[in-house]
Amino acid sequence: MRNLIQFILKNIHWLLFSLLLFFSILLIVNNSRFQRSKYLAVAQEVTGSLYSVSSKVEAHMNLKNKNFDLLKRIAELENTVYAYERQLELLRDTNNTKKIEIDPIHSLIYTFIPAKVVYNNVSRQENYITLNKGSNDGIEIDMGVISSTGIVGVTIAVSPHFSLVISVLNSKFHLSCKVKNNDYSGPLVWDGKDPRYTYLQELPRHVNYEINDTVITSGYSAIFPAGLPVGKVVDSRKQKNDDYTSLKIELFTNFHTLTEALIVRNIYREEQLNLQKKVNL
Amino acid sequence: MSITWVRQMVLFFLLVLLQVWLFNKIHIGGYATPLVYIYFIIKLPVEMNRSLVLVLSSLLGLCIDLFTYTLGMNMLATVIAGFMRAYFLKLFAPKDIFESYSPSFSTFGTGMFLRYAGLMILLHQVVLFVTESFSLFEPTLLILRIVGSYVLTIFLIYIFEKMRYERFKS
Repeated sequence: MRNLIQFILKNIHWLLFSLLLFFSILLIVNNSRFQRSKYLAVAQEVTGSLYSVSSKVEAHMNLKNKNFDLLKRIAELENTVYAYERQLELLRDTNNTKKIEIDPIHSLIYTFIPAKVVYNNVSRQENYITLNKGSNDGIEIDMGVISSTGIVGVTIAVSPHFSLVISVLNSKFHLSCKVKNNDYSGPLVWDGKDPRYTYLQELPRHVNYEINDTVITSGYSAIFPAGLPVGKVVDSRKQKNDDYTSLKIELFTNFHTLTEALIVRNIYREEQLNLQKKVNL
Repeated sequence: MSITWVRQMVLFFLLVLLQVWLFNKIHIGGYATPLVYIYFIIKLPVEMNRSLVLVLSSLLGLCIDLFTYTLGMNMLATVIAGFMRAYFLKLFAPKDIFESYSPSFSTFGTGMFLRYAGLMILLHQVVLFVTESFSLFEPTLLILRIVGSYVLTIFLIYIFEKMRYERFKS
């Protein structure tokens, strides 16, 4: 009996090893969405505040580039405003009797909430981003996230002060997008290699495209409005079964220098989801 | 005894913070990311209780997991590396020292230390990248990632150790 106890005590590390091994595998395999988002919400509250410190330093070092980007963006916007003003004047002049009517519903469906990026990674095959706005600011799961240049991702977990975003650069991320010139749509999927490029897949073989065609969101889900810029076509390749082509897309968003983002809130999302639920019943 | 404990704890937190703030942001060519936190397990005293090594290794992995939102992946790799450590030590540790000591250039000799550290790093990275590739399997990418990260990590650990060694000599 004493020998047995001594034997067990001498080899206790085997037992401990199996236990820890089992526990870590359990963590990896236990991947259901509910538990994942619960765990991530807790992890974020702990790590989010630490990351805030490092991201502040980074934001400072990036200010020069950011300023340049913003100036460029302002110049673009000024150009468009100028163009529209010209158009407006022209319309007023030629058609004084008619008024221009803008459908008020379109501008009211989506609102945009600005947020700062506190954690961002592009080196893994599953990349996530943390933003400094959470449920206290009205953020919910499944809201779209965009930057000043293009789309960024979708929120998948929220805690009171932070929200976790699944990045476009994540092999589990799928979003329906289309080529602007011909309206053919397909899922946008990342191949896990270069954070500058992603792929628009499952397009029919006969699809006509040209290099530098713009790719935009299709708006089929309630997450993003239709027509947001995503990237431009740079190349194509055949898919395995030959019936489809996929286009190589250069993303407009630069994920390396991402520090600010907008969260897209669809005001009628609940109404739409409730309606869809009713049909399921 | 207590001083070595404080030292180990400082090394632990230093490596975790360095990893999440600095090294996780490096990815040369999209493939090579240095994973230096394994240095903590490499440097634990040779005579340390094996169960204690396991517990510390799993805590280290879990800490990294918390920061990178990868459930259990780093933990699995560090637990396996921590378990195999005793066998690697049997291969490379010198037999003629009887006091408690940490693996380093001065105690092991440069060649033996690099062989020991190299095996630990390789095991850790193979487990980590293979687990990660379950969600998206591509053999060439996997091998490129392992080789790139391995070279970068062992280079950095060589520099760490060299710096400590120079200070120890002077």
